[in-house]
Amino acid sequence: MAAVVFQLLILVAVPARKVVTLSTGKTVLLKVQPVDPYNMLSGYYNTFNFDIADVNAFPNAQVFPNDSWVYAIVQRGDDGVWTPALLVPDLPTNLPENRAALLGQIRYGRIKYGIEELYVPEAQRYTVGEDLRLNPDKARVEVKVDKNGHVALVRLKIEDRIYE
Amino acid sequence: MSTKFRAELRNELPLWTQQGLLSDDAAKQLASIYQLDNLKHESSNLLSAVIFTIGGLLLGGGLISFVAANWDAISTPVKLTLLVTALLSFHIVGRWLWQTTHWRRLGHALVFCGCLVFGANIGLVAQIFHISSSWYAGFGAWALGSLAMAWAFRSWIIGVLTLFTSFLWFVGHQGDSYDFTAIAYPLIIAAALLPLAWIIRSRVLYTGTVIAVVASACVLAGNHGSGRQLLITMAAGAVFMWTLGELQRAARWRAEFANLTVGFGLALLAITAYVWSFHIFWSPSPFGTMSAYWAIVFFVLAIVGVVLWFARRGHQTRSLALTVGVLTAGGILCASSLMARADAPNGETLFTITTNFAALIVAAVVIAASLIDERRAVFWLGSLYLVQLILSRFLEYETSLLVKSAAFLACGVAVIVAGVGYEQYLRRNRPRAEADQPLTEAKGTGGKIFE
Repeated sequence: MAAVVFQLLILVAVPARKVVTLSTGKTVLLKVQPVDPYNMLSGYYNTFNFDIADVNAFPNAQVFPNDSWVYAIVQRGDDGVWTPALLVPDLPTNLPENRAALLGQIRYGRIKYGIEELYVPEAQRYTVGEDLRLNPDKARVEVKVDKNGHVALVRLKIEDRIYE
Repeated sequence: MSTKFRAELRNELPLWTQQGLLSDDAAKQLASIYQLDNLKHESSNLLSAVIFTIGGLLLGGGLISFVAANWDAISTPVKLTLLVTALLSFHIVGRWLWQTTHWRRLGHALVFCGCLVFGANIGLVAQIFHISSSWYAGFGAWALGSLAMAWAFRSWIIGVLTLFTSFLWFVGHQGDSYDFTAIAYPLIIAAALLPLAWIIRSRVLYTGTVIAVVASACVLAGNHGSGRQLLITMAAGAVFMWTLGELQRAARWRAEFANLTVGFGLALLAITAYVWSFHIFWSPSPFGTMSAYWAIVFFVLAIVGVVLWFARRGHQTRSLALTVGVLTAGGILCASSLMARADAPNGETLFTITTNFAALIVAAVVIAASLIDERRAVFWLGSLYLVQLILSRFLEYETSLLVKSAAFLACGVAVIVAGVGYEQYLRRNRPRAEADQPLTEAKGTGGKIFE
């Protein structure tokens, strides 16, 4: 039975960090676009391209090599959307309330945060894809960021429509 | 001893006793030695295991599909409860059947299906929490859980599942990061599964693990080194597999594993020699850094294996020539890889010739093995390999159509003549061999290269 318990522990460990982040993290709203409006549905998930995933959106991106882990500092704007501010190598302390640090890894000019894919119910997959294609500038993704910079995806918002 | 042989023996025994070739007592003794009475039971067990496994797969697939289809209608706690319940149901019922009833094979099938459900659960949990990760990460978690279950239930098929999922993880992981876990994967998978295969005497798991060890080392050399590093790793890995199998046979360490290991080693050596026999693979290229660590390990293990094999082979001389041939071919390939340099004068031509020579030796070894063991299929494999090697050279280089035509005709005639000669050889030798060979020899491995 120890082997069965071990399998259960693995199943618990897979989402453990995301669960902690979702329950303790700060809410951040990010602007997104589908990677390719004509090829964004792969299986039952949508792939996103965040503004903060582009290293060139940060002024000091060039000093970080490929594969390095960074903390992306984002800042809340007047419209409630958080935008890129700075990349730092270490977790900053004492960030003001309107700033958050997101842990990501630089991969070939992009920053991966582990929130690039939203799984949607089978019945909604075409609806979500169509909504994203028709309203690329209005799509926002709500994420949670914990004190260590780990990020968890909560839901997709397009105007008043919510997909989660 | 193969089931096919025992089934044929069961059919022949009544005829032999009717014809007076065997006494009733001798027939009963043979039936007892080969456990012929168990044949019917064994075949029905195998059939039931296959049916139970297919049934379990369909059951597990249906449950997972049901949960996935009702994703939007089910709340997250209920989804997780359903996934865990499905997993526990397979494992608990499977374990109960395995240990407390005579439905052992059904229990084994259910536990195996439970491990498949475990893999599906990992993917579904990742979906519930929108976890975006590398495509291979889930296979790593799956392999860990399956490994624990394979050891807990001493299951060869769950061991094979572990091998498959861990290899997928390795392929993805080493592509992303060339770190310690990637470099050490061949050692890790060998330590995790070879003892299990040894304990439960599973030829499939044992051979699969040895192949995975060599294949993963080749992936590392090819992906993070150069073509020459891939060549030396493949050649050293092939020689290692051959010597491992020969040593096991000579020392009678799980001799039943030997044939597959030796066969795959020779096949890998043949493929390696054939691929690098093409001139294009020896075109000038930078030496690069020598990072084929596992080639060195295989080489050292092969040398140790040869020394031990030589000490334990006793009075058997039949495999000596074949082993010398394999070592020579492997040595030529390794030496060619080490000596080839981009600035070596006429290096391309020299090393193309040496690898072609190595391929010819491999063909000779295969044909010699077929003559020693009187195995028709092996003879044709060796002959076709030789013909393919020769025709590849004629097609590779600019020669006139007349020369190509002559080469095809000569190869065709040679194959027919060799085939006729081999059949005559079999006819001459078989009656004598059958008369000389005591019946009890058939029960052991018989020292055959391929069985």
